[in-house]
Amino acid sequence: MERYKERLEEVKSLLNKDQIDLKRLREICSQSCPNEGGLRSVIWKILLNYLPSDRKQWTEILNKRRNEYRNFVRDMIIRPGYKENENCEIDHPLNSNPESEWSSFFKDNEVLVQIDKDVRRLCPDLFFFQKPTEFPCEEIKNVQDAEIYQSLRKRVAKTQLKADEVSKHRLGFTNYKSNSKKTKEEQDEYAYLPDGQEAHWEIIERILFIYAKLNRGCSYVQGMNEVLGPIYYIFANDPDIEWRRNAEADCFFCFNNLMGLEGIRENFELVLDNTQIGIAANMKRLYDLVRSNDPSVFNILQKQNLKPEFFAFRWITLLLSQEFKLPEVISLWDVLFADKETLDLLIHVCCAMILIQREHLLKGDFSANIKILQNYPNSVEIKEIVEKARNIRRK
Amino acid sequence: MAKQGYDYLFKILLIGDSGVGKTCILCRFADDSFNSSFISTIGIDFKMKTIELNGKKIKLQIWDTAGQERFFTITSTYYRGAMGIMLVYDVTDQKSFDSIGKWLRNIDENANEDVVKMIIGNKCDMEDKRGVETERGEEVAKNHGIPFLETSAKTNVNVTRAFHDMALRILEKQPDKKPEMPNINPSKPFNVHTPSSNYGISYKPNCC
Repeated sequence: MERYKERLEEVKSLLNKDQIDLKRLREICSQSCPNEGGLRSVIWKILLNYLPSDRKQWTEILNKRRNEYRNFVRDMIIRPGYKENENCEIDHPLNSNPESEWSSFFKDNEVLVQIDKDVRRLCPDLFFFQKPTEFPCEEIKNVQDAEIYQSLRKRVAKTQLKADEVSKHRLGFTNYKSNSKKTKEEQDEYAYLPDGQEAHWEIIERILFIYAKLNRGCSYVQGMNEVLGPIYYIFANDPDIEWRRNAEADCFFCFNNLMGLEGIRENFELVLDNTQIGIAANMKRLYDLVRSNDPSVFNILQKQNLKPEFFAFRWITLLLSQEFKLPEVISLWDVLFADKETLDLLIHVCCAMILIQREHLLKGDFSANIKILQNYPNSVEIKEIVEKARNIRRK
Repeated sequence: MAKQGYDYLFKILLIGDSGVGKTCILCRFADDSFNSSFISTIGIDFKMKTIELNGKKIKLQIWDTAGQERFFTITSTYYRGAMGIMLVYDVTDQKSFDSIGKWLRNIDENANEDVVKMIIGNKCDMEDKRGVETERGEEVAKNHGIPFLETSAKTNVNVTRAFHDMALRILEKQPDKKPEMPNINPSKPFNVHTPSSNYGISYKPNCC
């Protein structure tokens, strides 16, 4: 407790200086961030390279970035599909040219429907993401405006309507369902909030949609929502109203930066699967680590044909966000973000998780062992895992 | 037998578009539980359940896969070892039904030739949101010579039956201990599920 207070005081004084000692901040946070008064929310922004160590630049940078994000929202969501330029005259929804703006509009809708399925399923144990945000998108806040402006909600609904019409054409009248009816029942299932309000998951959806549009190559991959979720959770629960108000924009950039850390986004990319920087290479690194640190555990994994794809694919790609409860994930991420080589530490953490289960793994058969690795026992503390990971790394 | 506690080990794979309810079907069958808001499956997941059929103990090792294309290189490696593959679509989601062809091609290209296939139309409890009529599911299945069932993981309709049917079909193919198959109606070429009051499903929506 004393030590915690000391750390807390030191972090506070570090953050109050004009020039923040980043090295020292990383050192302290490598034990876990103190989280009083929203400290973690600020510290993550620093550790994820969103806020520079020169505090005097903060206001300017934040204004700039937040404006930038607002423009993304306006350009990509509020007025989507077509731009008011001469192209409109030759571009139309049936344009078969893949470069057509309509064609990309329809492709975007496919991505959006996938995101929509996943974000609704984000952290189901935690009611937080279903709750309304205090800060819905400005343009849709006013119910009259919501009639005029485009929103992702409308686009999802329209895309579903389109699918209904397709089935109508194929089998004639018998298969048609009216969309208004569907929407009503959808409310029972998923409870869209009334117009003018947005649930937190809808904000996550918007961030991911914009990210996908700006990163055409990788686009959206299932699981990105699980990486974004904890960051947004921290920012949207900041005790300071100004930070909370801008949680969406700040979160977008921090997520973008996290994905941009060496090797993190690459894990999501199919085209990199068989390269030195993709997920396959990282899973191999993990098994190599297990082999050099505990050959008998490695042998049992080999003998039982327990491939890393069965569990470590998810562990590494999602930065372990599905393996622990949210508060534990958050304190693990303190440590991962504080490290200059996040991916490297992550792989050592994964190795530690396997080795901590060594006694069970050596005794268990294939199904017992895969159960342990796919549903990692929650009796193990993050602190113990991180300590072990560091020991392995020091060797 | 019996040293390992079972007579057969069957590997079954669940495939289909994301969000059709593969994980829910698996959890209903293996744990008899339902949760409408499962997190999305990343990569591949796995559950075991031992059942008894015709006096034989059969251990089912069931692999649950992620639906998105990105995961296909990971999941496709399991096609080869699978003895049965359940292709799941969502009766309220036309697009997932349209994908059946794509999934069948994946099976042809990656699985063993004699793999036992089955097409499952899930979420049949959501009658008022239905977008794919039972007859269309039956027709597609018939055209490909694959058994078909509509299921609901939520209200527990036909889930156990689907796995038992599949296990029986795999059992039939086992070379040595060919069992008798008294429970399967031999007069039918396909074990197509026809609407029956036993399962409490009303197939015709009242609205149109």
